[in-house]
Amino acid sequence: MTEPAIRASGLAKRYGDVQALDDLELTVEQGEFFGLLGPNGAGKTTFINTLVGLVHKDRGTAEVFGFDVEDDYREARDRIGVAPQEFNVDRFFPIIEVLEHKAGYHGIGRKAARERAEDALKTVGIWDKRDTRFDWLSGGMKRRFVLARALVSDPDLLILDEPTAGVDVQLRHDLWDIINRMNDAGTTILLTTHYIEEAERLCDRVAIMDDGQKVEVATPDDLMARGTDTIVLDLAEMPRTAPRLDVEGITDIELTDEGLAVTAMGGSQTAPAIMRELEAQGHTVTSLDIRRASLEEVFVDMTRDDREYAEVSA
Amino acid sequence: MNPNATQFLTLVRREILRFVRRPYNTFLPPIITNALYFSVFGVILGSRIGEIAGVSYLQFVLPGLVVLGAISDSFENASFTIFHGRWNDYIQAVLTSPMSNRSMVAAYVSASALRGIVTSLLIVGVGLIFTSVPVANPVYLVSFLLVITTLFGGLGVIGGLWASDFDYLTVMNQFILRPLVFFGAVFYSLEVLPAFWRNVSLLNPMVYMVNGVRYGMIGVTEIDPNTSLAVLTGTTVVVLSVDYVLFKRGYGLAE
Repeated sequence: MTEPAIRASGLAKRYGDVQALDDLELTVEQGEFFGLLGPNGAGKTTFINTLVGLVHKDRGTAEVFGFDVEDDYREARDRIGVAPQEFNVDRFFPIIEVLEHKAGYHGIGRKAARERAEDALKTVGIWDKRDTRFDWLSGGMKRRFVLARALVSDPDLLILDEPTAGVDVQLRHDLWDIINRMNDAGTTILLTTHYIEEAERLCDRVAIMDDGQKVEVATPDDLMARGTDTIVLDLAEMPRTAPRLDVEGITDIELTDEGLAVTAMGGSQTAPAIMRELEAQGHTVTSLDIRRASLEEVFVDMTRDDREYAEVSA
Repeated sequence: MNPNATQFLTLVRREILRFVRRPYNTFLPPIITNALYFSVFGVILGSRIGEIAGVSYLQFVLPGLVVLGAISDSFENASFTIFHGRWNDYIQAVLTSPMSNRSMVAAYVSASALRGIVTSLLIVGVGLIFTSVPVANPVYLVSFLLVITTLFGGLGVIGGLWASDFDYLTVMNQFILRPLVFFGAVFYSLEVLPAFWRNVSLLNPMVYMVNGVRYGMIGVTEIDPNTSLAVLTGTTVVVLSVDYVLFKRGYGLAE
């Protein structure tokens, strides 16, 4: 039986009064493109740092391809490439040497390390900057470089913590292409992002975390199906007040400038019953538009509490 | 090549390149400082002091200056590279790699010891401009230098893990190491001290290091070199063990 790429069980970590990870249970299968969503402080980065050895867990287990991240840390870390959110790059050396060093730390000999470094820089499109130091790269190039460093050891598990934070649209799409190619080639991807659209477009499955726990794991489509869709109906003659509709799944009905707006779970399944009910009441439906709940709306619903969600804006 | 060896050699190479490529920060200062020491203490003052232990004053202080340079630079190298890596988080590239904790410690200490030895050679080179440099007991000389630089490389690792600001590095080097060395019989013979202060001086570990290197160079010592070497070697093993435990526990490195 194939070991999952990541398996966390009862994983806990506390910082003072803050329970950063609270008996987290999570499994990521090999080859998956897995998204980790959650508001600030949800425990995403703590979880990632536990996998790579920068955080020591209080209890529970975490395994990478079946290797315990503490007892078998060498085997586990050899399979991981990580691109952290914060830049943590050696400023003393040109970037190609930084990559050679990283490859060497993974036991790759000098000649092969050089070739890996060159390939990684070409993959992310900053080969011509190979002799430049990190500080002198532009913001977008820095993001590319951090990805190159994660790739240079040819990892089986690529962990990307906010890989497109603060980059322009073009670069974001370039990075998506690179990451997608890695995933197509069999690399498991663990992605944390504040860009919900990113998770929607890229991820096979998404885990929503909050307060150090997993709230839900599902495909983006499944999650969105759990949200409330809005069905906007244009009627031949708009009534003065919103009609009462006895259809299961409806949570709200209101008249808007656009028409009759019906909020319902599973808009596609509910729409025919709504139309039949309206026609039974003597209305004529001239057009219908189903606006699906976005993953962002589902995300906010699932993690809603008293905190601010300033960073969750699309 | 064995992956373990590749990992170790990569980190050693990275550390060596870091200090070799910045000679104005790493090698020029001890050259200039020691040229000044030799000029002032050796030539200007030394000519009035005469011989100590059968050698010129310049030859007498040379081993102490070699020790001063060796331990300062080996300590500074390890403490700076680890603290700077922590400060800027780039040490995480090493920590998240499959390198063993033992390899990490060995690499940081080896590179730091090497820098201390290179500094020693540079100081000897500067000394050659002013006087002849005898090597009475080369095996002892090499052994003491290896142990001393390894010991202070190991202590530098502890310092680099402990420091939470650059001020800590200054405090350790300037306010602890340097006074100990200056009162470690670099510039004087223990014989000139009153009995009380001579006994107090024997509590200073630097005295044993200076005397050991002095024995290696001019063949004169006030303390049994074998005892000194054994104690220093034992201390070095203890310090390296502490380094390993700190890395394993992630002290200063992991949350």
